[in-house]
Amino acid sequence: MSLATLEVHDAVARLTLRRPEQRNALSVDLITALRERVAELAKLGGSAPAPRVLILEGEGRAFCAGMDLKAVLGDPAMAPRLLGGLAELTLELRALPMVAIAKVTGAAIGGGCGLTCVCDISLTHDDAKVGFPEVDLSVCPAVVAPWVVRKVGAGRARQILLRGGLLSGAEGAALGLMDRSLPTHDALHEAVEDLAARIAAGGRLALAATKRLLNQLDGSDDADIVRHGATLSAQVVASAEAQAALRARFGDG
Amino acid sequence: MIRIAEQGGIGVITLHRPDVRNALTPGMLEELAAQTAEVGARSRCLVLAGEGRVFCAGFDLALCRESPDGAVMRALLTGLDAAVRAMRACPCPVVAACRGAAIAGGCALVAGADFAVADRAAKLGYPVVLLGVSPAVSGPTLAPRVGAGPARARMLDPGLISGEEAARIGLVTDLVEEPGAVLPAAMALAVELGRKGPHALAATKRWLGALDGTGTGEGAGGAAGGNVGPDGLRVSLGLAGGVEEAELLEKFWSRRG
Repeated sequence: MSLATLEVHDAVARLTLRRPEQRNALSVDLITALRERVAELAKLGGSAPAPRVLILEGEGRAFCAGMDLKAVLGDPAMAPRLLGGLAELTLELRALPMVAIAKVTGAAIGGGCGLTCVCDISLTHDDAKVGFPEVDLSVCPAVVAPWVVRKVGAGRARQILLRGGLLSGAEGAALGLMDRSLPTHDALHEAVEDLAARIAAGGRLALAATKRLLNQLDGSDDADIVRHGATLSAQVVASAEAQAALRARFGDG
Repeated sequence: MIRIAEQGGIGVITLHRPDVRNALTPGMLEELAAQTAEVGARSRCLVLAGEGRVFCAGFDLALCRESPDGAVMRALLTGLDAAVRAMRACPCPVVAACRGAAIAGGCALVAGADFAVADRAAKLGYPVVLLGVSPAVSGPTLAPRVGAGPARARMLDPGLISGEEAARIGLVTDLVEEPGAVLPAAMALAVELGRKGPHALAATKRWLGALDGTGTGEGAGGAAGGNVGPDGLRVSLGLAGGVEEAELLEKFWSRRG
């Protein structure tokens, strides 16, 4: 099975990360698979009856544990590929005409939490783990930073990204990083389905036009800034400080 | 009037004029900018605190009274702008320990920091339009910090808000119950931040500055600003020494008797 699958039922599409044994950590292959599925959605988007809503979800215990940083240890060519791929994925996902809902089960960490900020609406449960521990690992969340700024504003983004660490789903919702946190998995599942159904009742053109305007208003169409973030992030990953921290975290192997 | 303490990679800069609630003079602001650059360059985190019960009551208006041509007001505004720029240019995070009150220029220092700890009952705000002074100099850091809507309200409404309300809008990042807990909480946050990779923190802070237009280093893409509010300073300077300001300042002093 592909690392990312797409199912479309009437007005609702589901894009699922399927690398559960790695908690859906974003490898080059997973990012490539996600980009292929997003391209399929983009093609569908122009034709009626296209889906109006996209639910982004992860198979297994975690929505997404973040970038697969093990892969960048000792392979200097890997970081630019991985981060450049993430940058393109975020741009392509944001440009989709359908309303994207992130269903955050278990954990959304680093690049994974970045993907939830690229989605239009994110829901989680109170004891999920969300956030950006990049600076704790001596790496820089530069690709996702523009999306975090657009999601929570520059002030809270500064607080969240410089502080690092992880937040509970409930804390993430209090800071606006998540739009809503539900008490249980079951309640989350129900809330996502309700939300998807409610949005799907809206007009396809109205939803797409509104999302396009919002993207223009908040600078989401500025591809250069996200790509520059990938360059910066790759530079920091290549630093001695980051390589030492990653070796300490993931071992030399 | 500025004291420095350094321990374990944490630099603490303290405004030290407690008899006048740490009211700012041009000399203090110049020293603050210089020490922020110097101590910040060798620290893993910087804490900005005020001696005594109040973080900072703002500009020392008594000095302005002695300078009716506005020269002191211009020096204060220019010095405040330079101090805030130094805080944003500082590679390590800056934590403001906002105990009791941060008024006008003091509030601008809080908005310039990356993090701000305050007690629930602290008073924050910009009552300076009552004196014919524009708080525009603080706008370039305040607006990205709290968002355009709250920034407009805070700079145009001369009323003060509580620490609790400031935390709600994001001006304060860490709220504590008691004034006495502010500095310990700020130090604990500084130690926590000091454990992160310094190179990664500096890169992340620089990139956030490029994204929100308050950076002083490398710009990028559409968000390239590279400056902390030259326009904000210019607006504030444009009124310094003017007729309205002179009248309202005189009224202020006559009310005080």
